[in-house]
Amino acid sequence: MNAPFYKFGLFGDEASLIIAFVIGIGFGFFLERAGFGSGRKLAAQFYFRDLSVLKVMFTAIITAMTGLYLLSRLGFVDLSLVYLVPTFVVPQIVGGLLLGIGFVIGGYCPGTSCVSSVTGSIDGMVYVAGMIVGLVGFAEVYPSMQSYVQMTPMGQITLARLFNLPYGLLVFAVVLMALAAFAAAEWAEKKVTGTSPDPKGSITGGPWRMTPVRILATGLAAAGFVALIAGDPYRGSRASIDTRDLAIRVGKGVDKVQATQLADWIIQGRNDFKLVDLRSEHDFDAYHIPTAQDLPLASLAPDFAAHNDRIILYSGDGTEAAQAWFLLEAQGFKNVYLLDGGLRAWQNIVLFPQKSAGTDPAVFAKQVEVAKYFGGAPREEGTSPAASVAVALPKLAAPAQPPVPAGNSSNTQPKKKKEGC
Amino acid sequence: MNNVEHSAKPYWNPYLSGFGLGLVLLASFVIMGRGLGASGAINAFVATAMHQLAPEHVEKSAYYAEYLGDGVHSPLKDWLVFEVLGVFVGGFLSGVLANRLKFRVEKGPRMTNPLRLLFAFIGGALMIIGARIALGCTSGQALTGGSLLNVGSWIFMMCVFGGAYAVAYFFRKQWI
Repeated sequence: MNAPFYKFGLFGDEASLIIAFVIGIGFGFFLERAGFGSGRKLAAQFYFRDLSVLKVMFTAIITAMTGLYLLSRLGFVDLSLVYLVPTFVVPQIVGGLLLGIGFVIGGYCPGTSCVSSVTGSIDGMVYVAGMIVGLVGFAEVYPSMQSYVQMTPMGQITLARLFNLPYGLLVFAVVLMALAAFAAAEWAEKKVTGTSPDPKGSITGGPWRMTPVRILATGLAAAGFVALIAGDPYRGSRASIDTRDLAIRVGKGVDKVQATQLADWIIQGRNDFKLVDLRSEHDFDAYHIPTAQDLPLASLAPDFAAHNDRIILYSGDGTEAAQAWFLLEAQGFKNVYLLDGGLRAWQNIVLFPQKSAGTDPAVFAKQVEVAKYFGGAPREEGTSPAASVAVALPKLAAPAQPPVPAGNSSNTQPKKKKEGC
Repeated sequence: MNNVEHSAKPYWNPYLSGFGLGLVLLASFVIMGRGLGASGAINAFVATAMHQLAPEHVEKSAYYAEYLGDGVHSPLKDWLVFEVLGVFVGGFLSGVLANRLKFRVEKGPRMTNPLRLLFAFIGGALMIIGARIALGCTSGQALTGGSLLNVGSWIFMMCVFGGAYAVAYFFRKQWI
């Protein structure tokens, strides 16, 4: 079995909406069960009276985190296909502070306000109205703050990748931190309210007996410990491939990107693909196609990109790229393409185009412009293609953000993904 | 005054409710490859409503353009919209089963109703703006991103708690 089911095409968009509804019912049900339809209970978190927000939230986080880790480690879920909201440091600091302040003033967060208003809380309904009016206002000022909202981007990145620590170690650390926070929360509640924690419902209070709460805490701690020693949850080097499907795709040539098309994409500033240079570091430093990252064949790890990222590979003559294409396909990457003809084609077609008898002058003028953009130049008429090898490559890659040539205007703003909350 | 009727059943234990919530989130990861959300649905709703009210204005707007889609499918035919509809239904079901349905205003004893409603309105507006800037709310960022070890979500979560504790003192009359 392969999960996430939706990403493996087990059902379509229509069915996903029914699933959304059912998952939502579960979400709303547990929020209400926990008492999160009450603004007073929620706000008590910030006066250390009742730390249910922290307890519910972190129990949910470590449950889902360890569960997902174990299912991925067992090979049931492909973790790279689970959507990560991209990180933008400054907007997320500012937005987080605003949410925190709004939480104390309003008493709810967007999810809990739904539960609150539907169970009859008038302040919850007014809160929802506030969200609607706030959003209408935000839409009006959005154009002037669009650039700030996309400040300090870090892409889709996990703490494991940021700190370069094993994923399992971080899972374990978060579980420990949450359990320590629960103990601290129970202690704080006791201090502030003066009542001892209910032995049945707490982790630390009362006589030491096994209760459902303690069984849960022990189970989560054990799952965290397994994560510590079980290693990386991303799918490893074992892979299976559908060779017939692969052969059909190779035969159709759907897996190739032309050099001129790649040039257009780079000029347009498109960032919905990863360009990977498979040559050695030395060759890469001498010249590489702008925006490319250097990733020699031997260092292709299964987690270097998400499995549904669009990846374009190239090498000198295309051999290494073709080998890497096969490796990545076998590892389950879905959108891997080869630069047709490799760096040699890039050189002959994009950097040093040659006018032949049948070329439309307008088309050629554009080719020359593209060539200049990338630091190349048109070749003299009549030069044989073989001679092009002798033509020196531009010294270094074109500047990272060169001006966009006329006639190639396109929006450079990355399209914001809608998948997040 | 006690806002909850005497016959209302007590809330569930927070750890056990959290475990249930975590399993729902895990199911969403496994089935859909994505987590939970809430604020995004309000967005789709507002974009649709505004499109009905002021079509020309909305079509020119840089903000709404992203949410109106291709013009063929309604923005309401969206995963998050259906999920949030479910949240309403699930919350209602739980409220009915626990005998907790009651018109009420949630506040501390020292707070007046009109002021509480004004604060609820302001809080709602502040939070949705924060959620748009941060690309998610407590559901989409804190819960979902938190369990995926997402860097931005952990930054966000620290700031939510930090911001709330920093101003809690000034709003204590509302709650305690």
